[in-house]
Order: sequence, then structure tokens, then C-alpha cells
Amino acid sequence: MTEDRSRLVYEVAGGDFGGKLMVTRSTGRAVREALGEALEGLPKDGTLYVDTRGVELMDYSFADEALGVLVSRVAGGEYGDRRLVLVEEDRDMLENIEASLRQRSLAMIRVDEVGGEPGIVGTVPDHLVDTLEEIRTAGSITNADLAKKLGVNHTACNNRATRLAKLGLIHRKVETAAPGGRQYTYERIA
Amino acid sequence: MSGMLTLGSLDPAFEAAARVEGEPVVLDLRPVSFVEPAGICGLAALLEFLVPRCEEVDLALSGRDVPAYLERMDFFRHFGGRVKTNADLASLEERQRHNPGTLQELINFHTEEEIPGIIHRISEILENQGYRVRERVAICSVLSEICANAAEHGRSSFGAYAAVQAYHHVVSGTGRRGEEVLIAIADGGPGVRETLSHNPKYAEHTTTDNDALRHAMMMGVSGTGELGRGGGLALVAQISGRAGGSLSLRSGTGRVTAYEDRKNSRNVPFFPGTFVRVSLPRLAQEPPEKSSR
Repeated sequence: MTEDRSRLVYEVAGGDFGGKLMVTRSTGRAVREALGEALEGLPKDGTLYVDTRGVELMDYSFADEALGVLVSRVAGGEYGDRRLVLVEEDRDMLENIEASLRQRSLAMIRVDEVGGEPGIVGTVPDHLVDTLEEIRTAGSITNADLAKKLGVNHTACNNRATRLAKLGLIHRKVETAAPGGRQYTYERIA
Repeated sequence: MSGMLTLGSLDPAFEAAARVEGEPVVLDLRPVSFVEPAGICGLAALLEFLVPRCEEVDLALSGRDVPAYLERMDFFRHFGGRVKTNADLASLEERQRHNPGTLQELINFHTEEEIPGIIHRISEILENQGYRVRERVAICSVLSEICANAAEHGRSSFGAYAAVQAYHHVVSGTGRRGEEVLIAIADGGPGVRETLSHNPKYAEHTTTDNDALRHAMMMGVSGTGELGRGGGLALVAQISGRAGGSLSLRSGTGRVTAYEDRKNSRNVPFFPGTFVRVSLPRLAQEPPEKSSR
């Protein structure tokens, strides 16, 4: 594991679970528990990079139990505002992660390497893809500015971004705005 | 019994085994000249079904090739003490055991915890034989998923048997020379139809064994109904279909074979449990780094 303040990289193949060959749900559960502990150890808006590049084989059962279930729990708010990012290249192994997340109507941000260009694995509703892309391009953007870019009203924009935040794909921050109002800011997580 | 020992060639024996009431039985395999993984797993399941039901089972074999193959595949390690045979096992044990086409000898397992060890071993064999990463991943993914299904849904007194063998021949349907990896697994569990019928959502899809088998190959279909479950078999069908091979499922009186673009169903004699056979062709146009046979 390598740490950079609120970012932590967890190398899945480096653990004591199965090395390059990750198979079965019971192995997936063990890895998920380790990832869950790492998530809990992060600051409340921290991001855990799950690096699977050293894994040669990840079967569907493992992918669903280790990542599908964990992403589901992150989206369910079990880990607060902490987020997950998959570090993996575009290769066949993604198929099993993709299949698991699609079955669960969930998605993860994926990067080829930490700091690389983010992409999506899993499924994001069509109407949210543009919103996610605008937030990714901006890095950090207020609801008012995002609404302007998307050409939608503030409520619709907030609804879309809230959905993305609940899927664990962005950070959503609330700031107090004078007089007595609230301003939402959305930030990319990778 | 035909010259090739497959699960289908054992159907009459399974039918006869259901009528056995304690008397000694002779299983006549003398016409068999060739055994594929499906045959050896089917034979193991048949013996597990038969041995507790009769006083004695005598396995009649002819020649040296079939007994030698069964010995190399560890068949007699599992059954040597439970059946009698006319084959001279002592002389077979002295033969060289190495057979590069054998990727996994007949193996018996009961729990999911045993599967990573099986996968690590076969992955190592495949790597040593020059299989590329993608090929190793395909074979290991298929084996781990079907083993996991057997361990979870096919619980029985004997667990499950699996075997994997690579053959060099003309790959069926292509006319080109290549290699075909055959993976077979047989369990003695309740079968696919009963497993799926635990989920009331699938009541309409469990009217017959073939309905249940066809449905079980679809993404997300499982007996538990839990989100995320029921993806393994669908992905096995995709992997085998993409490779130009097939996934054949047999349970109860149904048999469904899935190819890339179609599924074929047949009503077959009753099989007590679930049987899976996967074919993964490997065409000669993509030669391995080192020949495996």
C-alpha cells in the first residue's frame, strides 16, 4: 500500500489472498474485507485506489464479491464520502468487473495508473454521462456553473450530480452561501 | 457402449444402476477405446451412484491404452479400492505418468476453499506448456466458475469430479488443425431445475429440465436471487462461444448445449446431478509459444 494524504493505493495482488489468481467468492470476501478496512482508515472524503494490475486472473465470482459488493456498499453510503477508484488497464479481465457492476446497475471510475485519465467501468445512466464528463473536465465546479454548462436548471443539475455522488463517482460538497443559502460544489475523484 | 467413453455412452448404465438392489454388478467397458474428460467424470459419478447400491462393482476393461489412460488420470487412485478390475494396475503404475495433454487429472473436491489450489496448479501447467495469458485466463476462469457452481449448488456425499484434457486434432466446425481443451465436471447434487426452483421468480422457467438449463445460462439467473449472483455460467458460455467452442449442461432429463450463436436442447435419460462440459478450441493459426503435445 502507498499513501498520499487522503489517497491510498491498495495493490490487490500484493496481499495474502491469491497473488495473481483471484478466484471464488470466499477469496473475494477476504479481499473485500481488507479493502473495507483500508477505506475506513481514510479521511472522510478520502479515495481508495484499488490496483488490480498485478492480477492475472479474476473470475466473475471474485469480481462480484470483492468489487461489486464493495461498490454497492460505497454507493449505499456505508463508508460516508469515501470513494473507490479502480486502477486497471483496458484488458479482458475488466469484463468480469464490468459484468458484475452492470448487473448491479453500478459503476466505478477507472484509471490506467494513478493520476491517469479517468474512464468508467460498469453502467452510468445516459443522462448522467455528460454531467460526469463536465465535472471531470472542470475538476471542481459549482452547481450554478455546471447547470450553465449543461443548459439545465439548477434543480435538475443538482439531481444529476447528487445521483453521481450517490453512485460514488464524484464528491459533492455543501458550502454556506450568503445570505443563509447553500452552494453545492462537485469534484472529480480521480 | 461405443468406442468413445462419453457421458452419453454411460446412459444405459445409469438407467440400469437405478434398478440395482444390492447384487454384484459388472460394468463392461471392454468396447471402449478412447476416454475423454466427460467420460471419466461421468464414470466417476456413475460409480459414486452405483457402489453404495451393490455388493461389488467389477470394471471390465480391455487392452492397455484405456486402463493406462485411466491410471494416468488418477482414476484408480479414487476408485482402486472401491471397484474390482481385470486390468493389471501394478504394471500400469510402473509406466511413465507424464502426459502433456493432461491439464488436470480426475480430481474430487467438496468445497469452494479447494478451488484456488486447483486453479493455481492448472495455471502453472498451462504456463509451462506455453499457453498465452489470455488462453490461461479463459481456461482457468471457466474451470473456477463451474467448480464454484458445483461446490455451492451441487453438494452431495461425493462432492464433484473434474478433469481437463487438451487434444490436437481438426477442430470441429472449422476444418483447421488446432487444439481443443475439454473441461468436464460432474456433481451429485440436486440438479439445476431444483436449485432454480428455490427462487419463485423462475417458476415459469423450471417446468422442464431443459427450460431450467436454458434459463440458468442467462446473466443474473440464480437460485438465491441475490443481486450479483448467477453471472458465472453466463460468462462461461460467452468465453466458450467466443473461442468457437461450446458449453454443454446436463441435469435431470435435460441437456442444453450453447454455441456462440445458438442453443440446442435435447431430452436425454435421467442424470442424477449436474454435468458440465466445456470445449475451448485453440486454432493452429495462433501457434502457442511451445507445443503442448
